Amino acid sequence: MVIYSFYIFDRHTECIYSKSWLPPSVSEAPSNPNPPDHPRADRRSKAARAGDDAKLIFGTVFSLRNMVRKLGGDDDAFISYRTGQYKLHYYETVSNLRFVMLTDTAAPSMRNVLHQIYINLWVEYVVKNPLSPVEHKGGEGVKNELFELGLDQFIRGLM
Amino acid sequence: MTVFALIIINKAGGLIYNRTFHEGGLNKISTNDYLVLAGTFHGVHAITTRLNPVKNAGGDRTSTSPSVPGAANIVNRPEPSSGLEVLESENFRLQCFNTMTGTKFLLFTDTTQANVDVTIRRVYEMYADYVMKNPFYQLEMPVRCDMFDRKLLSYIREINNR
Repeated sequence: MVIYSFYIFDRHTECIYSKSWLPPSVSEAPSNPNPPDHPRADRRSKAARAGDDAKLIFGTVFSLRNMVRKLGGDDDAFISYRTGQYKLHYYETVSNLRFVMLTDTAAPSMRNVLHQIYINLWVEYVVKNPLSPVEHKGGEGVKNELFELGLDQFIRGLM
Repeated sequence: MTVFALIIINKAGGLIYNRTFHEGGLNKISTNDYLVLAGTFHGVHAITTRLNPVKNAGGDRTSTSPSVPGAANIVNRPEPSSGLEVLESENFRLQCFNTMTGTKFLLFTDTTQANVDVTIRRVYEMYADYVMKNPFYQLEMPVRCDMFDRKLLSYIREINNR
């Protein structure tokens, strides 16, 4: 099983944490024999592109969640979707905190994994941190050493 | 094993067919909501294609047919990334089949339903036979073909009673 990336969105629809486990050669643009035609596109930083991806992911899960709720009833929950290339897993807490994970298509349901991340990492290292703010504007308070380390170890243990 | 409903979306994102086979599987929503759902799904499907995290390198040149002039310049294009194929929720499962022309077949089933891809291809065959071959059917317009309705209903009933 391969895990590509992981995102956390808060209740204000903001991406407060994102991490990618893709090797840079894979996630970067394919090796182009010609110099890029659009220098402006090249100038856009990697962070900006990652931010765009996060926005697209949020839009997708938001729409699909609403669709699932409309069709399956208010107690229904969107779990995952799969395309030919990747699989997206979704877990939402009662406080509208949303966890999203992208894996390869063969991965089993990662709902419990996302739940474990919430319980064992988020609650332990972010919520119980007295210095962490209530709202995580721009990822403030989430990017602490213990959380990042724990998450990385947990994910690498799964792969 | 139950098939709940079928939705067909044309290549512009418009709802052209919508039928429920099993009451109580999905919430009842109005036709207007179905139209909104079709449009939303069409957009989301396009975004899921773009989100592909594995952008495999497509620049490798191949020499599969060196006899053809100019073949050396043809780059081996990677398989285009597909959009959403299966969506799972706690109460249902949604299988999407995107045809070559961009028409989407959405089949809603219960979470334990197996072989949905076979079912959805059979539905596509029926669509080709009874809708596309109907001389009175106008392309991209809502499907109103009695034969299609009848054949589809009997096929799905067979699956639901299994």
